[in-house]
Amino acid sequence: MVPSLNGRQIYTMERLGGILLFNSQRARWLWLIASLAIVAMLAIACGDDDDDDDTDGGNGDGGSFETVTVGDGAPIKIGISTILAGDLESLGVPIAQAAELAGEGVEIEGHAIEFIRRDDQCTPEGGASAASQLIEEGVVAVVGPICSGGVIAAQDLYEAAGITHVSPSSTAIAATAPDRGTPYGTFFRVTYNDGIQGPAQAEFALNELKVTNAYIVYDTDAYGSGLRDAFGDAFEDGGGTISGKEGYEKKETNFQSIVTNIQGSDAELVYFAGFYAEATPFLQQLRQVDKDILFLSGDGVRDDEFLAGAGADAEGAYLSLPSPVLQGAVYDDFASRFQAATGEAASDSPFTAEAFDAATVIIKALMEVAEADGGELKIDLGALNEAIANTKIDGAVGAISFDEKGDNSGGETPVTLFVVKDGEFVAYE
Amino acid sequence: MQVFFLASASFWFDQTVNGLTSGSIYALLALGYTMVYGVLQLINFAHGEVFMLGSFAGYFVMVGFGGDEIAGPMIAVSIFCAIIVAMAASSAAAVAIERIAYRPVRNAPRLTALISAIGVSIFLQFLVLDMTSAKAKFYPAIFPEGSVGVSDYQVSYIQLFLIGASIVMMLFLYVVVQRTSTGRAIRAVAEDKDNAALLGVNVNRTIVIVFILGAAMAAVGGVLWGLFFRGVRGTMGFLPGIKAFTAAVLGGIGSIPGAVAGGYFLGLAETVGREMLTRLPGVEFGNEWRDVIAFSLLVLVLLFRPTGIFGERTYRRA
Repeated sequence: MVPSLNGRQIYTMERLGGILLFNSQRARWLWLIASLAIVAMLAIACGDDDDDDDTDGGNGDGGSFETVTVGDGAPIKIGISTILAGDLESLGVPIAQAAELAGEGVEIEGHAIEFIRRDDQCTPEGGASAASQLIEEGVVAVVGPICSGGVIAAQDLYEAAGITHVSPSSTAIAATAPDRGTPYGTFFRVTYNDGIQGPAQAEFALNELKVTNAYIVYDTDAYGSGLRDAFGDAFEDGGGTISGKEGYEKKETNFQSIVTNIQGSDAELVYFAGFYAEATPFLQQLRQVDKDILFLSGDGVRDDEFLAGAGADAEGAYLSLPSPVLQGAVYDDFASRFQAATGEAASDSPFTAEAFDAATVIIKALMEVAEADGGELKIDLGALNEAIANTKIDGAVGAISFDEKGDNSGGETPVTLFVVKDGEFVAYE
Repeated sequence: MQVFFLASASFWFDQTVNGLTSGSIYALLALGYTMVYGVLQLINFAHGEVFMLGSFAGYFVMVGFGGDEIAGPMIAVSIFCAIIVAMAASSAAAVAIERIAYRPVRNAPRLTALISAIGVSIFLQFLVLDMTSAKAKFYPAIFPEGSVGVSDYQVSYIQLFLIGASIVMMLFLYVVVQRTSTGRAIRAVAEDKDNAALLGVNVNRTIVIVFILGAAMAAVGGVLWGLFFRGVRGTMGFLPGIKAFTAAVLGGIGSIPGAVAGGYFLGLAETVGREMLTRLPGVEFGNEWRDVIAFSLLVLVLLFRPTGIFGERTYRRA
């Protein structure tokens, strides 16, 4: 064995082996402790990721802004926190590509822009880990994180480091909700707030689909639980009944129990607040036993991967997409550059225009505050934050300016509803 | 939140069928844990990944047969082929794992083998995650829809098939272990490796057979899982693996009937049990509490009955 070990340690190793394999009187106690630990971990993991876990809500006062010096000839680093591999890859990669377009050919006082991509997995852990990595890399600002769970986990880290982060795609109400002990001074988002999506969906369900009883199935992350509340409250205020709400964790595949509960309820419609990776098996399992119940979901499910995975079961599904009116010179210019760079249409993937704008907001602010100092470049992160907060530009998504919470108050965001027909998303008439 | 505080009898019937469905898969997997433990006193933590590999093998067979295009009698043929290929793939993987990761450390302290098992498990998970760029694959929806039963008490064809197929596999295993000379060799090795070797049993060969049998059960479970729940991915084996291990401990690790009983019990407890708990006044146990219930059960059994529901182990170390 390892020569430096004395006999006693080896004996301990062997005995531990025996204990782990149930061979000792002590086995039960060790197992008990181990099991309790597992249960405790699961309880934590399964705990709500929504609003209430940020009671200590670190905010503005924790952070301090530094001045970053970019060396002679070195590029200015901007981070991108998105999902680069896995189920949501087709959502995350185009976002990175669109953001990088905004920096193409840009030079500030002779310094180019370098984007650094980090995979945040669309999870709280991933968001925090990508934040630490990007801060370590010395970025001056970040486009992202992509998902609200990641935003909420990363906000404290970015706030403490004084790094302004502009998310193109985090829509959860909680990300800018004042009851989290925030607003975070360093967080902004170009996209809309789910506060507009949930009520629009509820109105659609009540007035267009004429249903009065709905069942909510939600991802327990910030995005899913935010929509659950936004839709649920609006639906009940409008006179509807919510006959049940059930949460699931990401990567869940077994929805049998939920499906049976839905069958046992009087619901005429299932409202799904989550992403397509889980919506696909859920809808397939639901359709095995119920062909008629209506299915309504939001932007997290409106993806071509959903159509491909769910196939015939997706037919008749209703999906909403809050989307700015994508038109105008800036959007056309972005869309043609995106098409040329990636070979794909910008409109094939949600949030590409928002990602382009998020990067543009950062770059425009950098141009204002970066000061040449010999060959070097000095960037005061506090001034950068200030400049971003005062943004007023016409972006690809329309006018962009931020309110005091960090939400984009610039333009209108109508919510469009789609229905799946013959394997395609068709705008609902 | 639940407005239907007292649910109908058919609701509980459906949830029981759901519990038996998950339970069948846990039972198939638990057999692998319990048999390997029986002969090697090793917790084969890579068993969940053997299950995952079987599920993927079945998926590729389905795709080869034409995916969603499969129809008519080809449905039965493709499912049969998927199961056979999955069994072959899982068995090959299990034999390789045994040869590479367990046999060299068989006489080392058992902690070494345990760590080796965990290493193999993580390696396989990430290998498959990497090869599939971490995306879920979906089995085609080819199984005939419909159900059998009386009035509100219906069991869908696929659940019937899943529960039936797993029972057939378990009966097959029972016959192999109890009625054949190979089975006698397995029982002898489980009883006492050294004496079995003295009496002319090829211990290495017997251990390999145990791994093959366990892997075959897991592979069937993997294909059934895919047919029913549809989504398969590199990390899919982890939770069912741990659950099946829990089932094996619940039933009494080392005991074959115990593993089966533990599997069904766990499936029912986490499905029906959660539904009951969440109907208590003032309690809201979401779907995600299933796992908490499963592992709390593990704690309770270890606390009050460490040898499992089935009492004494049938396989005892010498």
